[in-house]
Amino acid sequence: MRILVLPSASFGALPIAVGLGEEAEIIRHRFLEAMCHYWELPVSRRTLNSAHRFHELVEDWKANCGPTSSVTQLAMHPAYQQIIGMGPEAVPLILKELERSPDHWFWALSAITGADPVEPEDKGRLNKMAYAWIRWGVEQGYTW
Amino acid sequence: MSLEDVFPNLRTSGYTITSPRDPTYNCIAWAANEMDRWWWPNPSYYWPNGVPRSETLEAFTQAYATLGFTPCEDATLEFEYEKIVIYVNSAGIPTHAARQLPNGRWTSKLGKFEDIEHTDTSGLDSPVYGSVAIVLRRHL
Repeated sequence: MRILVLPSASFGALPIAVGLGEEAEIIRHRFLEAMCHYWELPVSRRTLNSAHRFHELVEDWKANCGPTSSVTQLAMHPAYQQIIGMGPEAVPLILKELERSPDHWFWALSAITGADPVEPEDKGRLNKMAYAWIRWGVEQGYTW
Repeated sequence: MSLEDVFPNLRTSGYTITSPRDPTYNCIAWAANEMDRWWWPNPSYYWPNGVPRSETLEAFTQAYATLGFTPCEDATLEFEYEKIVIYVNSAGIPTHAARQLPNGRWTSKLGKFEDIEHTDTSGLDSPVYGSVAIVLRRHL
């Protein structure tokens, strides 16, 4: 058996057996598949990155939305729009943020989910709106 | 960025911060003597029944009309009236409302920020709020 050490830009120097029989080639192929899978779509990493990006956007929005009473202006802030652009993966992050510190995330939640779980008599009441959305999130099976 | 950076006129006209920051109510509610909900003509927020949910001076005037406010000439103190002013930006979109206090000064909630008491309505003239477009009053 010949063992060659092939340099790899992605994985560092890995000892890979080449020029061998069918079984060795299958093992090598499976190993490379597993490594590619790890680096391409690691779900845990994707979630961490989303959470990190979300919190950066939240901080940006809170620091820079200014003294406006306009819900439209609050929602049109670029950071807020980017959170909406994150789509469904932002929903549990927003619900967690609502639970931690109620704020005006209702436009984003409605835009992403199409839902509006707030009772008419609670419109505008921040804490009750937050509670209605958190309860909705639990009912929908979101975890955070 | 400080309030005086956003509203430079406050430097000369004077103001006092009268509350902590609070995201639960806004200037439109505060002018209506409410501090437990956020008024805005967005479907998710409180807006008086029967008033169009549109960001126009007419709709905001109608919203305050549900509380008995009607347009009047100017913002000078009249002891038998309570007065509100509505600001609009350069596009004519309502941005802010302030309420006159019995001492003739004005009280404003600045979005999610603090309440302030300011000497006159021009203290908040700025690119952010624009300027006063209408004065409303109701009998006390």
